[in-house]
Amino acid sequence: MGTATEAITGPLPAAEHDRWRPTAAGWAARVGVLVAIFGGVVWVTATVPQYWADRISLAAIYAVIGLSLNIVLGYIGQVSLGHHGFVGIAAFVAAYFVSEKMGCTPQLGCGLDHFGGALFLAVLSGGLAAMLLGLVALRIRGLYLALITLAYGFMAERVIFEIPFLTRGGAGMPAPRPDGFTSDRAYAYLTLIFLVLVIYVDWRLVRSKVGRAILSIKHSEPVAASYGVNVTGYKVLAFIVSGLFAGLAGGLFAFRNLNVTSPDFNFSIALLWVLMVVVGGLGNRTGVVCISAFFALFPFLAELITPLERFVSGTYGRSLSQVALVFGALLAILTIVQFQGGFAEQISPITRWLRGQRFSMHPEGHGPPPKEGAAKHALMAKLGLHKKSEPHAATDESASVEPGSQAVGPSEEQPEEQPTPAGARREDS
Amino acid sequence: MRTAIVVAAITALVTIVLFGGAGDASGPNAFVVIGISQGAVYGLVGLGLVLVYKGSRVFNFAQGEFGTIAAFIVFVLIEQVRSVNIPYGVAAVIAIIGVVLIGLIMERLIVRPLLNAPRITLLVATIAFALLAVGVELLLFLPEPKTLAPVLSKLPFEVQIFGFIVEAQRVLVVGVLAAFAGVLGYFFSKTDLGLAVLATSQDAFATRVVGIGVERMSRFIWGSAAFLGAVAGILYVPISGALTPGALTSGVLIPSFTAAVIGGMTSLPGAFVGGVVVGMIQSVSNWAFGHYSLGDRLWQDILPGGPDAVLMLMLLIVLLARPQGLLGTEA
Repeated sequence: MGTATEAITGPLPAAEHDRWRPTAAGWAARVGVLVAIFGGVVWVTATVPQYWADRISLAAIYAVIGLSLNIVLGYIGQVSLGHHGFVGIAAFVAAYFVSEKMGCTPQLGCGLDHFGGALFLAVLSGGLAAMLLGLVALRIRGLYLALITLAYGFMAERVIFEIPFLTRGGAGMPAPRPDGFTSDRAYAYLTLIFLVLVIYVDWRLVRSKVGRAILSIKHSEPVAASYGVNVTGYKVLAFIVSGLFAGLAGGLFAFRNLNVTSPDFNFSIALLWVLMVVVGGLGNRTGVVCISAFFALFPFLAELITPLERFVSGTYGRSLSQVALVFGALLAILTIVQFQGGFAEQISPITRWLRGQRFSMHPEGHGPPPKEGAAKHALMAKLGLHKKSEPHAATDESASVEPGSQAVGPSEEQPEEQPTPAGARREDS
Repeated sequence: MRTAIVVAAITALVTIVLFGGAGDASGPNAFVVIGISQGAVYGLVGLGLVLVYKGSRVFNFAQGEFGTIAAFIVFVLIEQVRSVNIPYGVAAVIAIIGVVLIGLIMERLIVRPLLNAPRITLLVATIAFALLAVGVELLLFLPEPKTLAPVLSKLPFEVQIFGFIVEAQRVLVVGVLAAFAGVLGYFFSKTDLGLAVLATSQDAFATRVVGIGVERMSRFIWGSAAFLGAVAGILYVPISGALTPGALTSGVLIPSFTAAVIGGMTSLPGAFVGGVVVGMIQSVSNWAFGHYSLGDRLWQDILPGGPDAVLMLMLLIVLLARPQGLLGTEA
């Protein structure tokens, strides 16, 4: 079992997980939970009232925006404060195409082919807008790039979104939904399908050679360049992919709202998008999707808590979306200062378990390294407490009481020098 | 030397423009006067941005909110606390002290823990703080605009300069900005404390080695930045006419960044000069878009966001062509 190697080199967490695999029952449990999650989303979408289905499609669109922003923020480590520019341009392009070019009206409806064409153009325009910004980003990085994106988004907001023929002078450009998807519920399914598609593309991208190159840029541009990574090229590519996602989100947003107006895309919403990616966990797909959807749904979820709703709207006379802003900002500050891994790190025991590892509360490889935990980890290993693969452990899927995790797990209250309490607790399992 | 040349050139230009067309109340020159006072506000907020950038190497997106919070405190004290009848000056001082305290709390709770974090992280943290402030203001005061009386309510409301009628508050803003820029410029080049702050921004570790408390410097920087922001807010809101949640973030912060960048982000006189330049360009392009037409339609009807576009193009060009700005150094 490699204990001899371990005695020399110390614990090898990565290698440990390479070796450890759940049993068939374990896999079944994991697949079951995954199916339950996805089935749950579909079931909720199918059973909630229509106006809630509409909110679910907003959540899915926010998740796409979150993933788009995550490429810039999480993968290449730059801040984009101009994402409302990409999303807004794409939304206006989509609406302009169906209303002005294809002659769709809310009464006549719109063919699926026109809808597809509009989405395609939206994606394309988002990518094009991002490419322009990406080319600028070649010269500038870090804080100054943040300013450039700010200027870019501001210009889109104040100039492009104010052009009368595009926005019909503040009245907004209508974007009727395609035939077959006119109901809120059908459209919610459609956005969810697109979300799954984006998640899949993002996942494959990160796992590819391109993805590894992009990720290497974030850690160190000189090192990446010295390994032969075309830093500038991949940076622009990352921006373009981000813009393509944002364009898709913009197109979906246009048809969700049925009417695109410029106040939908303002500076403060771009800031909120940045915060939701940070809270979700930079570079972590699951966390970003969950928190983006949560940010989109928060005012509506808070409505469900009747006493809160009654206090805020009734007693206090404020709308819940105003509370959402404060709440989101507080969450973001807390995340940045205290929990830098974000939501992703909080749920990492579950996501790692779902990926086929042991259930462990120990934050391995996520976020900042544990300060005193590392020393404890080494000490435990030295004392021989880091054994794994007890005969009964492999079959035990209620994994929180596994010996391996106990040794490194949440035993802060015990003095480091005493191996016995941990050992005693091990007997309980 | 370069500073002196740029300042002299701009002063000369402004003087020529002003004396050249004095008396024409609808011409571009009137817009120059308004632009200068508007630019003074940008410069004042820009000074705070530069100060924080010098000290913490980050763009402080909460700088505008320091001003909005101060304006709201003054508003509450003189408009809503009717029973006590607080004089304007006292209210302003209370507001400034309150905002400086908020700045210090922000430094302790947000900036200090991120002392060694990537600067982008700190940047996002300041954004989060700004949004938090806007959210709280929305909850407390609702989005409807309020009005705030000018500081100089005892003095004549308008004064006449070069044949133009100018609100006295605007003159005051320009004076305050010039005074602050001068004092801060002296502070950073001549005093021990100013040099210590600069040293901290360049190499925190080495600064600590020679016995300077980095935390103390950071506290000082954020306290002063909050002070500058508060002064800017109290002076700006009466002339802008509307006090809304996030008033200075939506309307002033971006031109202020442009001002600071044009000035060079590290230069305090640069922020002053940049502010005036940005204010003038914005004001004159406002005039031009409302004056010239293409065919039979005015430019402002064809491209409503034109003046903003000019501003943003200016920022882009400066960032791309000369990132160190007019007066900036690498320091």
